[in-house]
Formats: sequence, structure tokens, C-alpha cells
Amino acid sequence: MEKIIEINNLTKSYRKRKSKEVIQAVKNVAFNVYKGEILGLLGPNGAGKTTTIKLICGLLYPDSGEIKIKGIPNTVRRLESLQHISAVLEGNRNLYWRLTVRENLEYFAGNRGRSRKEVKKEIDELLQMFRLKDKENELVNRLSRGMQQKLAIAVAMLANTEVLLLDEPTLGLDVQTGLEVREILKSIVKNYHRTIIISSHDMDVIQDICNRTVIINQGTVVIDQRVDELIKLFEVRSYRLTLTEPLSLDQQKAISARFPANEYVEDQAHSYLTVQLEKSEDIYQIFQVLQLNRTPIDSIDRKAIRFDEVFLKIIQGDHQYAMD
Amino acid sequence: MQWINLFRANLRKEYLEMKRYLPNTIALVLTFYFIFLGLFGVIHFFGDPSTQDANIQFVIVNYIFWFLALSVIQMFGFEIVNEAIRGTLEQLSMSPMGIWRILSTRLIASTIIYGIIIFVLLIITMLTAGQWLNIDILSIFPIFVLTVFGMYGVGLMVGGLAIVYKQIQAFLQILQFLLAGLTFIPLAASPFMYFLPFVIGVDLVRDIMIGGQTLIDIGWLPLTILFINAFVYFIAGLLFFNYCERMAMKKGLLGQY
Repeated sequence: MEKIIEINNLTKSYRKRKSKEVIQAVKNVAFNVYKGEILGLLGPNGAGKTTTIKLICGLLYPDSGEIKIKGIPNTVRRLESLQHISAVLEGNRNLYWRLTVRENLEYFAGNRGRSRKEVKKEIDELLQMFRLKDKENELVNRLSRGMQQKLAIAVAMLANTEVLLLDEPTLGLDVQTGLEVREILKSIVKNYHRTIIISSHDMDVIQDICNRTVIINQGTVVIDQRVDELIKLFEVRSYRLTLTEPLSLDQQKAISARFPANEYVEDQAHSYLTVQLEKSEDIYQIFQVLQLNRTPIDSIDRKAIRFDEVFLKIIQGDHQYAMD
Repeated sequence: MQWINLFRANLRKEYLEMKRYLPNTIALVLTFYFIFLGLFGVIHFFGDPSTQDANIQFVIVNYIFWFLALSVIQMFGFEIVNEAIRGTLEQLSMSPMGIWRILSTRLIASTIIYGIIIFVLLIITMLTAGQWLNIDILSIFPIFVLTVFGMYGVGLMVGGLAIVYKQIQAFLQILQFLLAGLTFIPLAASPFMYFLPFVIGVDLVRDIMIGGQTLIDIGWLPLTILFINAFVYFIAGLLFFNYCERMAMKKGLLGQY
């Protein structure tokens, strides 16, 4: 696959204004972005996600390391590299609220040196695609947040760049508009052959539309993997055992000693044990503990894991074994 | 061609926003006119009658240039601060045309729009004062262009400060008085004035509009000094702005307000 963006050993630190304390926002971050993929950039607040995004967009200079966009180093030949990337960084705040929908599109195209005549057809297409045709002469401040968000993405699309970088594209949108934006993004990749990088806290969005995810925590990349593979990795190791009798205290202690990340609950009819296994064969250790009291097993199920649970586990340091 | 498209886009945006913020534009023009009326009243009622005509003409030219300098120089800073507040500054910085080109074309666009407003105001102030200045377009235009070019240089410096510090409103308030000094004090006051931005340009315009001189009367030496002055300030402003932009990118201050 063709590399569109190459990020090597990226480091960026800030100095706090008052205390002069140096904060390392990003440490030796390295990953690639490939043509035609939707990459999800994830991380908790303060993880270094926004800094990474701004470094990619050329809005920040790194202390060390390099970013190449289509082979062009973005610190050395910044303006040239910006011909291949456009972004929506602050959603609806990226627009001029006293201009109409069409005027915004025309203005931002003009800022990239394109004439109104040249982009007229493209604007018409985008207005159709983003379902904004009937609002084209409406001032932006009169649009709903969802429409403003769609317009901001349309503005980035009009830049005609290979890479679109979207920071929280579904933040604050209602369910319907959020789903609409997801469909639009999928269609941009499919029909317009663009590459998209999405930064989001919405795990549903990442799971639904991203091919691959890069998770950043405390300034470093902790995961760079395909979303489906990541879910599978965690899924196969999470089992739920339904037991017809409760576990004794000794059994519970033995389980906890071997599998600290277990969850045990009882109700009147059954007891349930959920365990995370490092290796599939570790299930036999559970059987050994159950064997002690000959506790009957009703069923063993592989527990379906949601992507937000995977994310949490990685952030809590569980990524080491996921990377095995 | 890209430059022309960039300029057209910014000229249109400036025009549209001025139209959409019409009450604001009207208030600006009225404020300008009423301040002028105040100055005119002071000279008319309290000034020396023997030098009254010359003083009024002097005030009209200086006041027009003060308004122009305020619009051109402060605007760069205001635009950057406003864009940072709106959230569009980073978006502009991501254009392959470069932020200084975008803001420069926006500044040229607004100079044209303000130039038309100023010309109308000039006619109205002359009507009000009953004093008719020599509007020799052919002689004034090249000097005006070079003077504004020098003002752009200072504007770029102010813009550079705005891109790093953002909250420069207090500085802009003080700047108003500095600009008043630069436009009102005649070149003859000190040889040092030749080195200050756009002072020589304003002085030459005064020579034309009040003294009735032409480009030929002025001669090549003052025009060459004006050209060098404008060129040096513009290049210095551009270098300073690019330095500040780079500093803002290193410190992560670009989108912050």
C-alpha cells in the first residue's frame, strides 16, 4: 500500500507559561498513513492527540522527528506539503458565520487560489452530497450545528487534497446527523478515493468507519493496529462461565490469585465468572479450580467486547499482551 | 492566477462582511465624520483667523491619512485576533498560499474599499469646511501606493505581535496616538523623520494637495527616499511576521486566544 503520510520519531514539548515546567506532549511518535484508508487517532484527554494532529497539519513545529506528506517534509517545504492535506480542526468554528453556505465554500476555495468559476460545479456536487443544496444561500449562523459540521467537512473536501484530517467530526451531533456524517465519510473514501484521519472520542464511530487505529497515551503510540484485529485479540481472551452452584471462598481466592482481572457475581439460580486469559490454554487452570469442589458448569461463552472496552484496557496498560 | 483568485476571494469577503455588518460600517464612517467636525469647529472658532484656511487644509489631509493608517496598520492585528477568536486562524494557516499572502490580499482589498469610503469622506469634509484641496490623481496615486506599501510593512509587524501575543488591544490603543504623531508632525520637524514609516509619503501628499505641487515639482530625490523607506519597512514587516509565525508554531500559540 502506498504511504501518504510518514511520521518518524516525532517529539514535541511545551514550556508552561508560569512555572516554566517542560511538558513532553509527544515522545518518539511514529506511524504511517496509507492511501485510501480511514485511520482513527485515539487517546484520552491530554494524551498528545491534538499535538500530533497539529504537527501533521504543519501548525506546529516538532522539536525533533519528521513528517512527510506524499514524500514532502512538512517542516522544510510546509506550503508545498499543505497542497495534499486539509483539515477540520474546530468543527463549526472553522467557518465564517456571517457568510452564506455557498460563500464560505467559495471563499475557502479562493484561499487556495481557486476561482469561483472553477469550483462552481464541485460546489454544486458537494451541496448535493452533504444535503445542503436548499441551504446554500443561508447564513452559517442560522444553520444547525449538524449542518455547520457538514459544511466544515465540505469546505475541507473542496480543497481537493488527498488527505482529510477531521478532529471530532461527530462531536455534539444528534444521532441522525452523526450517522449521516459517518455515511458521508465512508462515501468520501469509496467514491472520491481520499484518505481520512479521524480523531475522536466516539468509539462507535471509530469501530464503524475506521480500518485502522493508532492509540496515543501519555505522548507515545501504544497501539497501531487494524480495528477488527484489535477487537478479535481482546475478544478471544474474554470468557464468561455460567455455573449452577456458587464458588467457595477458597475457589474465589484461587481464581483471583491466577486471574486478577476477573469478575464474579451470583444470583439465585446461577453464578457467573468472567475472566481475561492471557493464553487460550489458561482456561484449563479455571477447570482445575472448579474441579476442587466439582462445581458444575452450565455454559462457557466468549464474551463480546465493545471497542470502548478495548480502548480502556489499552489505556490502562493492557496493551502489552495485545501487541504479542 | 492563484494570486488573483486569492485577491478576488478576499475582496469579495471584505465587501460581503462590510455589507452584513452595515450598522458597524455606518457607525465607523459617522464617527470619522463627527471627529472631523469637532476638529474643524475648534480651528474655526478658536484658531487664528489669519492661518485658518491653511490649518483646516492641513487637518483634512492629516486626518484622512490618520484614518487610513489606522485602518491599514491596526487591521492586520485585529484580523489575526478576530480570526483566532472565531477559530478560523488555523484554517487560514493551512492554506498552501500562506497566511501572510491571505492577510495581505485581504488588506489590499480592504484598502480599496476603505479608499473609496475615504475619498467620499474627503469630498464631504471639503464640502463641510468649504476648503477645496488640489486632488491631482496622477501625482497623488504613485505616492499614495508607496505610502500604503510602507504602512503594510508596519501592519505586518503589528500582525506578527498579534499572532504571538493575541491580546494586543491595549497596544493598538497606544498605537493610535503614535500614528497620529506620524501623520500630523511635518517632515521638516526633524531630519530623523525621514527614517520613520510613511511620514515622507504623507508630507509629499500634503505638498500636492495643499501646496499644489506636481510630481515634477517634487523631483526624483524625495520619491526615491519614499520608495526606499516603503520597501525597507515592507520587507522588515514581512520578515518579522514570518519570524513571529514560526515562533507561534514552535510554541503552539497559533490557534490559542
